[in-house]
Amino acid sequence: MQVGDIYFNSKIDDPDFKVCDDNNVLQYYNFGNGIQYEGEKLAINKYFIGELKSKGLKKDTGYITIRFIVNCEGRLGRFRVQEMGNDFNEKEFSSDLKNQLLNLTKGMSGWMVGEHQGKSYDYYQYLTFKVEGGSLVEIMP
Amino acid sequence: MRYLLIILMLSFPTLTFSQPNCNFYKIDSTENDPCYQACLLATEAEGGQGSRKSQGLFDKAIELCPSLDYAYYEKSVPYLKRGDLITWKKLIDKAVALNPTGRLGYRGWCRYQFVKDYKGAIQDIEKLDSLVKYDIGYSQNGDYHLNIVKALCYKAIGQKEKAISIIENQLQQDNYSPLPYDFLHLGVLKMEMGYTDEALKDLQKSIQLNSYLADSYYYLGLIYKKAGQYKSFKENMEKAKALYLKGYKRLDSYTEPLDKVYLADIQAELNG
Repeated sequence: MQVGDIYFNSKIDDPDFKVCDDNNVLQYYNFGNGIQYEGEKLAINKYFIGELKSKGLKKDTGYITIRFIVNCEGRLGRFRVQEMGNDFNEKEFSSDLKNQLLNLTKGMSGWMVGEHQGKSYDYYQYLTFKVEGGSLVEIMP
Repeated sequence: MRYLLIILMLSFPTLTFSQPNCNFYKIDSTENDPCYQACLLATEAEGGQGSRKSQGLFDKAIELCPSLDYAYYEKSVPYLKRGDLITWKKLIDKAVALNPTGRLGYRGWCRYQFVKDYKGAIQDIEKLDSLVKYDIGYSQNGDYHLNIVKALCYKAIGQKEKAISIIENQLQQDNYSPLPYDFLHLGVLKMEMGYTDEALKDLQKSIQLNSYLADSYYYLGLIYKKAGQYKSFKENMEKAKALYLKGYKRLDSYTEPLDKVYLADIQAELNG
């Protein structure tokens, strides 16, 4: 068991999403390649800035983190959300913003399979969205 | 499979941490001192970073010696790296409260690198500076002096003149040797502020220090482009692309560095 492990929850997770080895899901940084996405981090920024509909959103400020697994076939699943204010305490964002970010994350198609020495691995990835006044200002990591 | 996982974890990069010298706790005590025992537990924590076993050993160390900031600090790290900023902050705050001069610089750096909490990072670095009479030190990954980190934070919140001033001041300090990205950031800042001639010199210095970095050539190319020197523009962009494709680019296993250039940026300039 590891900090940040995400276990299957039949109430919220897609039963068709499988990991190759539940006992050996790595972290994205274990590969030493930084963000492994087609078009690099630039493509992630463009995707969210282009797709997020910010008009009419509540003027929320803080951070929304979405953590998930990229499996050994490059498919995504087991999404979990953490919402945090600038004071590093939990807070609740408007469901509109949260759901948009979650659905956009689920719809990402460029995550690469984690590979090391010719073998494919499942890995944990996260995206943290820094939000100011309802606008997306930065995406981490 | 577990054996393979251990090999993988040893093979891949992880942040490195300086461990405390546990003998410190024996100076006025004995080997039975709970803080000495706790220190041994924390420094010998096994099972891999973030594992239940290692986190449990940190918990035990904290129970034995609640003032052992190192245990809080180490326990916090996997939460930071895995995106749980709420838990990370609670733990690292305890480490900072127990040992401000030892942990403020680290927390400030993390607020910059992982959280983009620029104002918080500035507060931590400035607080550290106010508490010590010695050099405040470097970022955890060794890329920057903490004063350069502070400058990058000021840049990120829009105070670019202040950022330039801080970097220039740091570069003028006795006994300070420029690190590989100091002149890159300074050159980019000056380019953004329209101080083209100075930016050109700084980026050339960046290349003198590290000629294998695509980013410096890219920004140099932009300056030549603005000056209408298209031959130099093209040469630098081509150089940037060639280096990038060979892997000579800004790369951090955890986060994306400020002013990092991407292949699509370079290609867009070449496509004109």
